[in-house]
Amino acid sequence: MWTFTFRRVLIMIPQILLLSIVIFFLAKMMPGDALTGLIDPNIGPEAIEAQREKLGLNDPWHVQYWNWITNLFQGDLGQSFQHKLPVTEIINQRLWNTFWLSVLTLILTYLIAIPLGLISGRYNDTISDRIITGYTYIGFAAPVFIFALLMLFIFGFQLGWFPTGGSVTPGTVPGTWSFFLSKVYHMLLPALSMALITTVSTVQYLRSEIIDTKQKDFVLLARSKGVSETRIYRKHIFRNSLLPIAAFFGYEISGLIGGSIFIENIFSYPGIGQLFLSSLMQRDTSVVTALVLLFGIASILGTLISDLILSIVDPRIRMK
Amino acid sequence: MSKVPVRLLFFAIVLSLVMVLAACNENSTESDVDKPETDVEKEETEEAEQTDEPEEAGGETEELYSIDDFSNIKGEDETPLEGGELTFGLVSDTAFEGILNYNFYDGNPDVQVLQWFDEGLLTWDENYVYTNDGAATYTMSDDNKTATITIRDNVNWHDGEPVKAEDLLFAHEVIAHPDYDGIRFDASLRNVEGIEAYHNGEADTISGIEVVDEKTIKITYKEATPSLITGGIWTYPLAKHIFGDMNVADISSSPEVRQQPIGFGPYKVESIVPGESVVYSKNEDYWRGEPKLDKVTLKVINPNVVVEALKNGEVDIVDSFPVDQFPDNADLSNLSWLGVTDRAYTYIGFKLGKWDADNGINVYDPDAKMANVNLRKAMAHAVDNNTVGERFYHGLRWAGTTLIPPSHPEFHDSENEGLPYDPELAKQLLDEAGYVDVNGDNFREDPDGNELVINFASMSGGEIAEPLVKYYIQAWEQVGLHVEMLEGRLHEFNSFYDRVEADDPEIDIYQAAWSVGIDVDPDGLWGEQAAFNMTRWTNEENTRLIKEGLSEAAFDLETRVETYKEWQQLMVEEVPAFPTLYRAVLVPVNNRVQNYAIGDGTGIYRYQVGVSAEEPEVAE
Amino acid sequence: MEHSGFRILWREIVRDKLALISLIFFMMMVAFVFGISLFLDESEIVTVDLFAIHEPPSSQFWLGTDYGGRDVFGQLIIGTRNSLSIGILVTLISGIVGITMGVVSGYFGGTVDNILMRILDFFMILPTLMIVIVFVSIVPNYGVMSFSLIMSVFLWMGIARLIRSKALQEKELDYVNASKTAGSSHLKIIFKQVLPNISSLIIVTMTLNLAANIGLESGLSFLGFGFPESTPSLGTLVSYARNPQTLEYRWWIWLPASLLILILMLSINNVGQALKRATDAKQRRG
Repeated sequence: MWTFTFRRVLIMIPQILLLSIVIFFLAKMMPGDALTGLIDPNIGPEAIEAQREKLGLNDPWHVQYWNWITNLFQGDLGQSFQHKLPVTEIINQRLWNTFWLSVLTLILTYLIAIPLGLISGRYNDTISDRIITGYTYIGFAAPVFIFALLMLFIFGFQLGWFPTGGSVTPGTVPGTWSFFLSKVYHMLLPALSMALITTVSTVQYLRSEIIDTKQKDFVLLARSKGVSETRIYRKHIFRNSLLPIAAFFGYEISGLIGGSIFIENIFSYPGIGQLFLSSLMQRDTSVVTALVLLFGIASILGTLISDLILSIVDPRIRMK
Repeated sequence: MSKVPVRLLFFAIVLSLVMVLAACNENSTESDVDKPETDVEKEETEEAEQTDEPEEAGGETEELYSIDDFSNIKGEDETPLEGGELTFGLVSDTAFEGILNYNFYDGNPDVQVLQWFDEGLLTWDENYVYTNDGAATYTMSDDNKTATITIRDNVNWHDGEPVKAEDLLFAHEVIAHPDYDGIRFDASLRNVEGIEAYHNGEADTISGIEVVDEKTIKITYKEATPSLITGGIWTYPLAKHIFGDMNVADISSSPEVRQQPIGFGPYKVESIVPGESVVYSKNEDYWRGEPKLDKVTLKVINPNVVVEALKNGEVDIVDSFPVDQFPDNADLSNLSWLGVTDRAYTYIGFKLGKWDADNGINVYDPDAKMANVNLRKAMAHAVDNNTVGERFYHGLRWAGTTLIPPSHPEFHDSENEGLPYDPELAKQLLDEAGYVDVNGDNFREDPDGNELVINFASMSGGEIAEPLVKYYIQAWEQVGLHVEMLEGRLHEFNSFYDRVEADDPEIDIYQAAWSVGIDVDPDGLWGEQAAFNMTRWTNEENTRLIKEGLSEAAFDLETRVETYKEWQQLMVEEVPAFPTLYRAVLVPVNNRVQNYAIGDGTGIYRYQVGVSAEEPEVAE
Repeated sequence: MEHSGFRILWREIVRDKLALISLIFFMMMVAFVFGISLFLDESEIVTVDLFAIHEPPSSQFWLGTDYGGRDVFGQLIIGTRNSLSIGILVTLISGIVGITMGVVSGYFGGTVDNILMRILDFFMILPTLMIVIVFVSIVPNYGVMSFSLIMSVFLWMGIARLIRSKALQEKELDYVNASKTAGSSHLKIIFKQVLPNISSLIIVTMTLNLAANIGLESGLSFLGFGFPESTPSLGTLVSYARNPQTLEYRWWIWLPASLLILILMLSINNVGQALKRATDAKQRRG
């Protein structure tokens, strides 16, 4: 177990290093920089050139990369040109919004997926199973941005049930109960929009997992011994089918990252996804590189966690 | 078999749902089409401010509006309450950056946050000339080189400390400091006597600035120009008792700029959710008097939801409003609309030379593809910008004539017609200049008989961007010119400027837009030494007139107006670029808001803003 | 032996009426869109008409016009063609790359497998959407083909993994060993024996990928990182709905495209799911 974990972590290091190089060069290859298109007749070209020089934009690429990567190891992601703040600080401001949104989305995803999957799998080929299957079909087909746009319009605007932007009501004091409630209230609609779509694959997986387990020998054996149907499901089938699902949450992370870019933009939710797009447009390169790196590492860690859980659940995996 | 029907049913449900949705929308458009008549009536009866009712150009929702029909002031039509709260919407699809100090901020989102709690020492009138109505008064010396600024006695920072002359000196020192990380150390600050020496570390003090007493400061400038009193003085003090001990490099990220910013404006910052919202409370000690409102909340509103937020009263005022959404919402019952001519224009520029970086000058190339002035004139005459403004912008943008926009009423030459739409004239000009179709492909060749393909670069991202470019290309095709979009597509903001600024030889003409400063002087945009003069065109006459506009003689307003008239005419004759569209800024205001104004020199200040009801009006 | 895989797939589709309808619909759609776009003058469709802006549907403009006075119906046809072309191209390119990597890796195993899998692992950890967005803003000038290539670079891993594990199993089977001892070349074994045996799996995966790829393209266009308006796609049409006025008052611009995306993806998925069942004996119907 420990060697497995150790080996996995060891593999991560070159992966992250390579990732950092790729990201750095992609970011540098983007046309323009933070000072492009800055038109203020009062600011002469010398002033702009001086800024470029100060930001090190004129250094050769390997110097720039070396400076960046060495600072990175000291936990310094550089300075955001647009925000005039250390990148770590600006990311820290937004990261938590995205983090909690993702947590809520995950909770909702499982809250929806587990009952639906269980019903669908246990009573397969009944009416309710077909309705659920129908839902998963549509969920598979509907792109998340179209669905989110509709949700925003119906529940945010037409019905006015949810706020249509921001992460918290202005003026609420951090740390109070009403602050917490306001946060959740602002997250609910975005999280639900995403969860309703992302949950379908989990529903489908759970369904087929249960249908599989149902026909396994130990279930048949239990049944032949006269164990009650409820008990069979509770003791044997559910537990066996739910464990792999639980392990999947690590893999969900990369999906959530992709989704957050759409969701945060549609719901004007000030998180990392929104920060990424605006920094990209403004060529705030240090933020862009830091974010891509961060997301890359998040999905590596997610995969690692899932692999570890799976290897505990199913020791065969460890052998690979 | 049994499984199929249920899923088929689902298919059907989705379809019918979508149809219902479509039907709903159809209804709303139909009713929308019905609206215009009632709309016009309402404007006649309710909107006393409007002098003319908008003309109607037949068709369905295609109403036309004119900026002349809008006022930029909402006065007091009802008595404001004592106290009350107001919500200000900052329309942006990104968060505001939160550099909340005039000495460090970068641009638009942050300045909207700043305006509520801080201000400059001097205010200006509608011609952008400094007045003596602000927190300080000023006098200019006889040689127009030295400004003496006296801060009023009752002007205090939010923490109660008086705003002192040394605070303004400190602002100069910080901005000129080598570690300063903002963008304010610009040409007008470099004009301060001795500031360069201080910047380069050759002097410990700025020799041109003298603190006379606690409230009086004298600033001497290297060059006396009329521009000095139209924005040429840095008037934003920096609280020395707070920032004085900090390293200059750390100020912009300090909590006193970010979380608890300080100013001396009508409101104080109560709390900030970074990038999202700010809550202000009233500054009872404000020097003009106690502000009306108890509390102001500023929050970022996505342009996509701004209409809804205004309709349900979630916000009372917004800083800007997407013009394309105006016609559909012109008749909202709970809003009044303010309008003003924007200090900006869109233009099409011709690439006519190169930037010589070593000498810092524009070098005109007489052999450039677009060097024939008649070709340029013809291209300007070939496009119908009034129709563009009417069709795409419902009259809220209109054909530009000269390169000094009407937002500067003193200097804009309203008699100069520019190069109006006249395709026949365009054809004639081209014929005369020798641009004729010799190979029968319906496109003109250049005078030497070579095929002429003009590459047009334009930015993506604007609402109407692509159709507009397409329209221009079609219009040029009508007069026989073969114009193509550069690489067949629009270019994203950064790569567009990257290439235009670098004089990419692939680009022959380009479309861009910019705001002009409050100072009318065109040197920074069109001068010989202006890096932003991306046409790279210049000639002696241009240099002479620009210089004259800043000369001693130009302190006489008449002379200055004449000079800029000549300059506008020169630019019309030489057409290195021609303005395509002038634009209007429209801002909706909830009916309960009193004493609010946009634009410059209105004489209405933020502390006067009040509300006439506890709750915002909601659209019917 | 070789064709039974296809026969099972086909039988499953015929048995599942919805899948059959979906398949027929999809085929008709493809034929219709590609057929009719031969007769449409693309440059005329993207011609801006100042006097026909935001026209509602009429006999002249079947689906009205957009904010440039351009015919939405024509854009829808061209857009569907472009989106389908990209979807299909990306699926094919990423499929071919993925299959090659997977088969080579699984069949040869050892060091080759190890190296290829490390490369694959690396691509797996890339935050795909973000990287594609960054990539698109670097490449100044892209058409259908180059856009498909960019997307494919980041989308071949899933299929490669799947094929590899399948190929690993296959090569242990007797018939491969028999061929090896009979002296057949690797290439011959791969093409004549391994590939045909995993062909049904390939078809299933590629079908499901097709839907996902069409979705990704429209998503990118929606965010503004897809095609310029002069190359209409379903995503650009939907992205007009980001303007609330269009969303609320001018359904004819975005709704048909959204619907079409939904229906296309639904029918492709229907077929894909039926095929998937066919490869999974336990869930096969009949």
